[in-house]
Amino acid sequence: MNFAFTDEQIELRDGVRAYLEGTHGAEVLRRLDTEGGRDPVIWRGLVEMGLTALIVPEAQGGLGLGLIEAALVAVELGRADVSEPVADSALVAPRLIADEAQLAAIAAGELKVALAHPVNPWVADADQAGLVLGGSATGERLESADPLRRLFAVARAEADARMLDHAALIAAAQLVGAGERMLTLATDYAKDREQFGQAIGGFQAIKHHLASVAVALEFARPALWRAAYALENGHERAGVHVSHAKLAATDAAVQAAETAIQVHGAMGYTYEVDLHYWMKRAWALAGAWGDRAFHLRRLDDAVIGGAMAIGPDQSFETGMTHG
Amino acid sequence: MDLTYTPEQQAFRAEVRAWMEAHVPKEPLLTLEGRAGFDAHVEWERTLAGGNWGMVTWPEAYGGRGLDLIRWLIFEEEYYRAGAPLRANQNGIFLLGPTVMEFGTDEQKARFLTPMAKGEIMWAQAWSEPNAGSDMAAIRSRAVRDGDDYVISGQKTWSSRAAFADWCFGLFRTDPESRRHKGLSFILVPLDAPGVTIRPIRQLHGETGFAEIFFDEVRVPAANRIAGEGEGWNVAMATAGFERGLMLRSPARFQAAAKRLVDLYRAHQRDAAPSAREAVIKAWAEAEAYALNTYKVASTVMAGGKIGAEASLNKIFWSELDRALHRTAMSLLGAAAELKEVGGRVNQWLEGYIFSLSGPIYAGSNEIQRNIIAERLLGLPRLGAG
Repeated sequence: MNFAFTDEQIELRDGVRAYLEGTHGAEVLRRLDTEGGRDPVIWRGLVEMGLTALIVPEAQGGLGLGLIEAALVAVELGRADVSEPVADSALVAPRLIADEAQLAAIAAGELKVALAHPVNPWVADADQAGLVLGGSATGERLESADPLRRLFAVARAEADARMLDHAALIAAAQLVGAGERMLTLATDYAKDREQFGQAIGGFQAIKHHLASVAVALEFARPALWRAAYALENGHERAGVHVSHAKLAATDAAVQAAETAIQVHGAMGYTYEVDLHYWMKRAWALAGAWGDRAFHLRRLDDAVIGGAMAIGPDQSFETGMTHG
Repeated sequence: MDLTYTPEQQAFRAEVRAWMEAHVPKEPLLTLEGRAGFDAHVEWERTLAGGNWGMVTWPEAYGGRGLDLIRWLIFEEEYYRAGAPLRANQNGIFLLGPTVMEFGTDEQKARFLTPMAKGEIMWAQAWSEPNAGSDMAAIRSRAVRDGDDYVISGQKTWSSRAAFADWCFGLFRTDPESRRHKGLSFILVPLDAPGVTIRPIRQLHGETGFAEIFFDEVRVPAANRIAGEGEGWNVAMATAGFERGLMLRSPARFQAAAKRLVDLYRAHQRDAAPSAREAVIKAWAEAEAYALNTYKVASTVMAGGKIGAEASLNKIFWSELDRALHRTAMSLLGAAAELKEVGGRVNQWLEGYIFSLSGPIYAGSNEIQRNIIAERLLGLPRLGAG
């Protein structure tokens, strides 16, 4: 039993974070906003970083890493508001595909995969996808509140429970990253903005709002890691753990967004301050891959419905009989 | 990351479970906050000590088993799973104990830790004063050096368990010229020493779970001081860290309460408000999140890491989840919630709800915790620096 990351995992996270901080700042988001949202140069950079190869087996040219690593990277994608379809294509799809040639093409960054599922009324990035898993999209573009999302109407979608769990996990991770970024943006603004002769971050009203966001994020994260671990290891309760993670991440990110706009004051209500990119991504991911109601129902069935043993000895698979 | 138990950890769990099943009282004890209940809880401490379960993480030399923090969490899980009583000596084993372990001399460890683990000496806290609550650095009670002794005068308040305990630990001003955080020392005082007067305070539930302590020229040996003279603030902050951080409120307690809440919901489902259903699920999810985070913190500490201001995140989370959990239970009980007994048994939910209201206040109010998070974790300007 050890609830800590390995040195390699921390290195991976820090490497991806540093790369995205260097290449994918807010000025890139503003440029993409006016240029249609996608940029092959950014995609190529992510491929060269190894992100498309991350969880593809080594035999197909991948790095053969697991879902803890995938979730660690997805947090960073959320923190940087990366909009290229790397999350769906490279952190979800490889676990749903058996075809070796397709896996190799994903790892090489040559194949982009989109995901269709009846829980979503859209298919993201269907236009550039060489493969749509779970169904198909029409060519009709749907406008998202998030200017960097590219959504298309669904033609056909089948319910694939594995897809849902994997995609909900990665969405939860991105929500945590977006929430962390919004907390940072609001904190930085509060340190800088002066009123009544001092930085507004010195006022307890501001401090307490931001501290509450820090609490919510702190306790969403461990739910995410347990879900990633359980899904990776095929635990019976993995779906319930994913729902817990998605719910906690959604609530924390939405709280971060609403707090961040409040701390920014009227500036937060403008298109000029970058905060809105993360806020709109949080709204989008909050509803994607099972909204609050969906995941709450799954927890309800498990906890109140009695489908799962609960109690102090039930956080992890113990292998003991339940009394 | 490896979220599975080893066979040795499983075997340990089975050992704890078997012992608890054989020894935990079948009926809940009277409340820890009253005299009779406290005595019953002390009796339980001695039963625990008889099984060598007093404080499993302490070295064997001091009455422990020398186990790591993962085993401590397993112990706690089985403890609350079995419905075992609250720990009468929580001030001692969870707060003073780790403090003495970190800052005490070998002589002090032998003198204080062993009787603590054996349930022989019960401890009270003596931090707050009438004019030093959230602002603890405003402490005025003084300890004047006189040869090998200190002579203590002053007043402490909100001293948990002082009405029933044997000793107290607290902060006293040893340098009369000092101000604020400087010049304070961490001193242990027997509550039966001449000059000590205890005035119990009735708490919200009517019992005397805490008290005022008056010190009128109370003489204690300087050997009762933990760490150096004037270093008390840093020692106290470490103690507060233990309180807020890892040990005082083990997650198993909330997981057990959440499980009982689910049972309560099932029994009252037909009459429950629709919003109660989500509140029940949320209580379970938050208790789980707290448990997971505690495993994370334990893993970090075992790898040589320290608990810093993150302890404040923890304290806010468990205290607010506990209050929400019990509020939900009260709403499920409806008109019966006010009754002190339900079905011939003490209304544990009412007692629990009342106790949960103290959580966001003690161990540093949650407003103070939010200041700490904002200033030390987020780097916002310090209070009063503007």
